Amino acid sequence: MTAEERLALAQRTLARSRADATDVTVTATHRALSRFTRETIHQNVDEVNVTIAVRAIVDGRVGIASTNARDDDAIAAVNDRARELATLAPRDQLAPLVAPPAAVEAPPGAYDAPTAQAGAERRAQIAAAMFAHAKDAQLWSSGYVTSEDSGLTIATSAGARLAFDGTSAGTNVKMNGADSTGWAEAYAVGIGALDGDAVGARAARKAVAANNPAAVDPGSWTVILEPAAFGELLAFFRPYFSAELYAEGASYISGKLDERIAGENVTIRDDYAHPLNPGMPFDFSGAPTARLALIENGIARGIVTDDVWSRRLDRPNTGHAVPRAGGWPVGPQPLHTVVEPGTRPVDALIAETARGLLITRLWYVRYVDQRRSIVTGMTRDGTFLIEGGKVRGGVRNMRFNVAIGELLEDCEFANDPTRTGGYAYSLVTPSVKFPRFRFASVSPY
Amino acid sequence: MEFSDCAARVLDTAAARGAAYCDVRFERGRSERIEVRNGEVTGLSDERSDGYGIRALVDGAWGFASSNGFADAALDEAAARAVALARAGAAVAAFRLGEAPVDCYVDTFETALERDPRSVPIGERVALLLEAEALLHAAPSVRVGRAWLDLWRTEKFFFSSTGSRIAQTIVQTGSAISALAVGEGDAQNRMWPGDRGLYQSGGWEIVDAAGLRENAQRIGEEAHQLLSAPQCPSGIFDIVLGGSQVSLQIHESCGHAAELDRVLGWEANFSGTSFLSPGGLGTLKYGSDLVTIEIDNALPRGLATAGYDDEGARSVRSDVIKNGVLVGFESSRDTARALGRSTNACVRAQSWEHVPMIRMCNLNLLPGTTPGEELVRDIADGIYMEANRSWSIDDRRQNFQFGCQIGWEIKGGKRGRMLKNPTYGGTTPEFWNSCDAIGDAASWLAWGTPNCGKGEPMQTGRTTQAAAPARFRGVAVGVGYDR
Repeated sequence: MTAEERLALAQRTLARSRADATDVTVTATHRALSRFTRETIHQNVDEVNVTIAVRAIVDGRVGIASTNARDDDAIAAVNDRARELATLAPRDQLAPLVAPPAAVEAPPGAYDAPTAQAGAERRAQIAAAMFAHAKDAQLWSSGYVTSEDSGLTIATSAGARLAFDGTSAGTNVKMNGADSTGWAEAYAVGIGALDGDAVGARAARKAVAANNPAAVDPGSWTVILEPAAFGELLAFFRPYFSAELYAEGASYISGKLDERIAGENVTIRDDYAHPLNPGMPFDFSGAPTARLALIENGIARGIVTDDVWSRRLDRPNTGHAVPRAGGWPVGPQPLHTVVEPGTRPVDALIAETARGLLITRLWYVRYVDQRRSIVTGMTRDGTFLIEGGKVRGGVRNMRFNVAIGELLEDCEFANDPTRTGGYAYSLVTPSVKFPRFRFASVSPY
Repeated sequence: MEFSDCAARVLDTAAARGAAYCDVRFERGRSERIEVRNGEVTGLSDERSDGYGIRALVDGAWGFASSNGFADAALDEAAARAVALARAGAAVAAFRLGEAPVDCYVDTFETALERDPRSVPIGERVALLLEAEALLHAAPSVRVGRAWLDLWRTEKFFFSSTGSRIAQTIVQTGSAISALAVGEGDAQNRMWPGDRGLYQSGGWEIVDAAGLRENAQRIGEEAHQLLSAPQCPSGIFDIVLGGSQVSLQIHESCGHAAELDRVLGWEANFSGTSFLSPGGLGTLKYGSDLVTIEIDNALPRGLATAGYDDEGARSVRSDVIKNGVLVGFESSRDTARALGRSTNACVRAQSWEHVPMIRMCNLNLLPGTTPGEELVRDIADGIYMEANRSWSIDDRRQNFQFGCQIGWEIKGGKRGRMLKNPTYGGTTPEFWNSCDAIGDAASWLAWGTPNCGKGEPMQTGRTTQAAAPARFRGVAVGVGYDR
């Protein structure tokens, strides 16, 4: 569905509203993914949907309804349901608002037309390049290739008309050997940037290098986390910068704004316009999104807000509202996290490590103690011993328990910023070295 | 156009384009949600989503396409897309993965309801949540109270090229309260019921059974008391886990481990594989003799209860762990065939938009004979824990570490003082082999998990692990806090 068609649909929906104030969000998604195991595509999917969400405000009260039907009856009905819910709701203490007109500009390079048109054959070609590396190294492969395009339009009764179109493509592959595995990933705006040959080669090299893994003792280790591994930790750190968690007192940074919480070399931003991960320049309420520092030179600088939390806390609206309907209760979120890189290559960090571990990827990270930023999780798919500044071979996976806040007090970033994530999140980070990373136990593999 | 007419068009188009088999699943979904936070209604929503997903098989490869367009051209395009996807996969396949099913069912299924949630006025729903949430504020330290309610209704219409025509109406209901107490450098959360709320298939009776009003004040008080409770000690202890935590332990260390797609490597790059293998069937001592875990997708109030799964296979009851020994897996038609077995109908999709895949459905630990309150009686020095707050397990489902919202000392066979931040860890078979008592049927409950994640693209599944409280000997406690 084109931006013009979405706008027409949003305006047609808005015109049928009888509420005091209304905003309409039209979302069109097209998501295709080819998933494979043992050099065979076992899930080849192509999903298309268009949804209309209506937020109606009546006498200071709010109702939300959505539909994915587009005929006149459905549009009348979704307006009626939203309005009826608003009528039945108790009056909120904080009267909601709809967004006024705003000038926003999408970051360059967020949309790639060939990706929107990519078919299953294109994804299969990329997968086949990875299959070749599996066969050459006598491994078997498991992974996916995806291409997506989506568009979102917001129209409000206060006159806002906002639209964003974006594409993304990605792949990851796990190469499996007799007693070891290796993994690699790549994400970009355009499918043309995906190099199946390079990704397959990297994962295969890791799987081969990790064979016959040694068991090392748990305890405190110097570690170098590659971007995918540190990304897993960041996904559990960035919610601390939500105004809601901050105000509730459950955030690691609650009460610490403008205080030092990390080393001077740590700067973490929320930036929808980063060239590796360009995103929407407005939030799901239609407010312009600010590009801001969360941590600047080690100082906690910013929390992100939305239309509700900005007024609750009497702070500017940074435009970080997330979708309202159909989810778990979460407040505004910094979804475009960018970690400022260091100046030296990751190889230099490895070369200076007398004894440590190089970690490809973490798994099943969860809070143990959210307020104290303690998390647990496992290493997986390529954990290597470093001795004398060189990567020596694979080691068995280990469980860790670390406080992310404490780790950031003493760390060094490499100069290899990388887009990482996939379906759970998408962020940009370099590799990072931590001198003290606590492992609790060792796996049998 | 009726769904049957739409289905005929889809099946004809797929066949004309070369599909050896095709099925199409139409769904009408409705999700109603109410959220209350600190006396305000922060969410009042009603979402409806209608559409269909098509599976086509070409040369042993599957294609899946979904759409919400019901015009003739849209139906044709989606069917053609499914066939094209299958054909593209077949072109690079190392082996033939799928075979056309042969079974055919013409049937209907409806969730049994005592009180249809649609008959409960929105005002009554909101009033319940506001009242319960207010009761959570039992102490000034309770900074945030929350209450929420989900009502889900899904109508499914499945048609296949073998002649199946299956109509199902599934109604699922859930509700919960939570209290966040904040002190100096500490925050403690308590939730009720369990750690996710009470989510089951059924009507408003599920909300009544949750007892939100009846338990809200106690939950608020416990959150407050946890701020000043002593830290749970570290060491080796005998432990008793409350029913909802046993449910999660089954979910993570058995439910996912026994998914046959994982065992065969289909989920290797994301959700992982499994420490279980077909070679362990009939021999692997997964747990003590007391441990029997079965699939029962007809379980009353099971969140995954349905007549048929999303590839049109009839729900059956089958064992996964029998008296401690591994005897089965959760399977689909294709994965079961790899083991020379029949599917046990564990295939589900999040919605019409998503591809069906193996999902944990109702996977239950059968109750024992010990009255729930007697599980602590012969523990000299132990810990009682309940309501999960932290869960992590490795990608083969062996090395796990869990934490609970609240614990109590057990001294001389009695529950003693409250403990904060209780955690425990271990490896799956050793842990389940240390189980020496399971609560009786009176303490057994169908605990539902409404948001189990799996697959790429990620899907959330609705699953039940019915469980009673249980006792485990010699467990590592206090992990994570002994850094």
